[in-house]
Amino acid sequence: MSFVEISNVVKTYHQVRVLDRVSLSIEKGEFITLLGPSGCGKSTLLRAIAGLNPIDEGRIMVGGRDITHLPPKKRDVGMVFQSYALFPNMTVFENIAFGLKMEKLDKKEIRRAVSEMISLIELEGKENHYPHELSGGQQQRVALARSLVKEPTVLLLDEPLSALDAQIRRTLRNEIRTIQKRLNMTTIFVTHDQEEALAVSDRIYVMNHGTIEQHGTPQEIYTSPRSEFVANFIGNYNVWSREQLLHKPIRGIPDRGELFAVRPEAIHISTEPDRTGAQQGIVAEGFISMATVLGNIMRYEIDVQGLQVTVDTLHRPSVEGLTPGAPVYLFVPESEWKCIERSI
Amino acid sequence: MSNPARTARSKGRWWHIGVTSVVLAVLIIPLLATFLFSISTVWQNTILPDGLTLEWYGRLFSDERFLYAIGRSFLVSAVTVVISLAIMVPAIFVVVLYFPGLEKMLQSVVLLPFALPGVVTAVGLIKIYSSGPIAISGTIWILIGAYFIVIMPYVYQSTRNSLRSIHAAQLMEAAEVLGAGKVKAFVFVILPNIMPGMMVASLLSFSILFSEFVLANMLVGGSYEVVQVYLHRMLATDGHMSSAIVFTFFVIISLLFALVLRIGRGKSRKMNATSATPADNEGGVTA
Amino acid sequence: MLLVLVPFVFWLIAFLALPFAGMLISSFQHADGQGFTFAQYVKALTHPLYTQSLLNSVWLSFVSSLVGLVIAVFASYSFTRFSAKTRDVLLNISNIFNNFSGVPLAFAFMIILGTNGMFTLLFDKLGMGFLNFDLRSLKGLIVVYTYFQIPLAILLVYPSLYAIREEWKESAALLGASTWQFWRYIGVPVLLPSLVGTFSVLFANAMGALATAYALTVRNVNLLTIQINSLVTGDVFPRQELGSALAVVLFVILLIALFINEKMLQLVRKGS
Repeated sequence: MSFVEISNVVKTYHQVRVLDRVSLSIEKGEFITLLGPSGCGKSTLLRAIAGLNPIDEGRIMVGGRDITHLPPKKRDVGMVFQSYALFPNMTVFENIAFGLKMEKLDKKEIRRAVSEMISLIELEGKENHYPHELSGGQQQRVALARSLVKEPTVLLLDEPLSALDAQIRRTLRNEIRTIQKRLNMTTIFVTHDQEEALAVSDRIYVMNHGTIEQHGTPQEIYTSPRSEFVANFIGNYNVWSREQLLHKPIRGIPDRGELFAVRPEAIHISTEPDRTGAQQGIVAEGFISMATVLGNIMRYEIDVQGLQVTVDTLHRPSVEGLTPGAPVYLFVPESEWKCIERSI
Repeated sequence: MSNPARTARSKGRWWHIGVTSVVLAVLIIPLLATFLFSISTVWQNTILPDGLTLEWYGRLFSDERFLYAIGRSFLVSAVTVVISLAIMVPAIFVVVLYFPGLEKMLQSVVLLPFALPGVVTAVGLIKIYSSGPIAISGTIWILIGAYFIVIMPYVYQSTRNSLRSIHAAQLMEAAEVLGAGKVKAFVFVILPNIMPGMMVASLLSFSILFSEFVLANMLVGGSYEVVQVYLHRMLATDGHMSSAIVFTFFVIISLLFALVLRIGRGKSRKMNATSATPADNEGGVTA
Repeated sequence: MLLVLVPFVFWLIAFLALPFAGMLISSFQHADGQGFTFAQYVKALTHPLYTQSLLNSVWLSFVSSLVGLVIAVFASYSFTRFSAKTRDVLLNISNIFNNFSGVPLAFAFMIILGTNGMFTLLFDKLGMGFLNFDLRSLKGLIVVYTYFQIPLAILLVYPSLYAIREEWKESAALLGASTWQFWRYIGVPVLLPSLVGTFSVLFANAMGALATAYALTVRNVNLLTIQINSLVTGDVFPRQELGSALAVVLFVILLIALFINEKMLQLVRKGS
């Protein structure tokens, strides 16, 4: 039995199954991300774990306790909201101390714990500031500290970085990860941003329409999507049906499978055909219809007799001849040619 | 810039200054005249008073009857406001957060007083409470009862808006996850943050009740003489005293109003960026 | 948790529902307080004294609301042309005067337009005696009512005028419209729902007003609210039942006015 065990949770809202027999297993100290588009049920699931939304069926076990029917305050979970929900009438110190005050700890204990936490989030000197005097990133750290100081069994984070600038998001997500590792805090993180999910998680659960499409490590999810949905959601996969590949200058397509996915960076591109035949794979011919500079990535749109292929390469200085209109040869190693299931 | 455009714009400007001045003058003149009357010695058949004096104010503020009347007005207004807040705020909170289905009905009910001017509610109140088991007519209690209804829409509007702007539901959730029960969460997290809104509603309601005449006259009249009723009785007898009362009354109302403004300004400063939304980071302001 | 609502509901029943029911029942009773009859309503709506009071009230409310609204529109529009700071000051001044009504106002007008009023005497002296009127008449009330409608009207109408954006006027000008045409084809139509709604509120405000008229005229002018007051607090004999019927009539009129306003507000919300 894992540390957090969520079994067959069902929630219906207005005749729609917002959560459709969802199950998760999480080990102690793991950082899990629920990833998916808006409306997939990830926030609903998180809130159900926190006890803010009741569920219709299923069971939620945390640390061996069945918390399915307990009110939020008895569940010993911590939660950071998307909008932080800091108490405007309280200082940073008071906000962080609130949970401990509710536990009726004595003043000295509270002071000690809160001060430690404030150092951990690096906001020394701001104890007596009010939320509206802090930046977005600072507010988020206070929200985090407020939950962590109670040493909850599980920490839940509901899209905590969505409201911040891209630059700050990146720094903050790493900070969160660092703190989480240091405290060995079992964490469930919700986001719709796949880059974020891939960057910080131990494992990812990809959700769609109330179900779990696939789960695994970032590496697994990214390199081996199992369904059309995941392939389209993660990264910039090329997704083709067998039909689409008929009558095109492509050789080496495996016999099995009806739907295929190939990552743009797994495709070798060259102005010369590869005559060595050293690797098993799929080859194709076409010409460059568009070349876009995406900073450190060079993105090519290749026209293979009408079929669109996206190829990404690192933007190295010496790329001769790869200009729009140029004829090119593509090679995909067999291991990178993934078969995926169709999603409804 | 061509000349015709400039003259057109400045002509426009003069028009606006003119209109504004005229309207302001029209509004202020009655008040000014009253003030003048209150400091005049004799002002019978002449356009302007004969002389000036402060004796009327002196007499007024040493008149026991006046002071008692002011006291009663303050008392009944303050007590009604306090009771109203104590009863309505938790009720509105509960409905808005936990029984949203009832909100439509609540809204219709609290807005009814706008269709029930004093004279109309007095009819029913007199019928029910003049005799029988609960004959509170003529006492302060019936006035408090009726006044509660009078300020209902203002208390509702203000409380509901405050709850919305502080995102009360989210704050409650955060507090509950941190271990607070619903009551503690309400007391520690919700109340302090709606306090400015409640203050504004209190002062506004207080002003309205302080200026109320019809119900006071019809329901209690002389048995519990408030300032407005006192003034009415003085009208026919002593013009100078009456004008002093009117002007004093106006000053009190203005002070209350100034307080409301002060609190309103402080509130908007604190409410900025206490909860993050994407708009905040572009420099926009919520609430 | 529903328990929290109990005191509130109790108060509503005691001071809103019961009195209202009492009034309603009373309006359908005979003069001795028994039975069921429409007689009171018949009297209320056919007896010349009461029909006259109704007409007077409607006329008074209509004129004061219309004039007040027009003045408020011009004033509010002019307010919008000033700097933010000035606008704030102007609005605040206007708002303070919202509280200046009823008995105090009646007295203030007696000073300036009463028999020996400041302006009454002034006009006489300047040979403009024709401008004078009897304050304690319907005409006089129209003037006083208009006065206290103005601040309320400004409060309600200002936001919509503020919303008339400068760009609209500029685009219109570029397309060749004169100021008059702008207002006729763009300005007024956009403002219309808000104006109608405000008029409704002003109308209701005036219909239900008693204090000012009571202090100024008591028995001289025949108004609906004054009749209700006399019937219920009865100088000679209290005639509650008839008073109740008239009160219900007034209530219905006000409901309609507020309903119109609500509909107009919905239109405005949809448009923005």
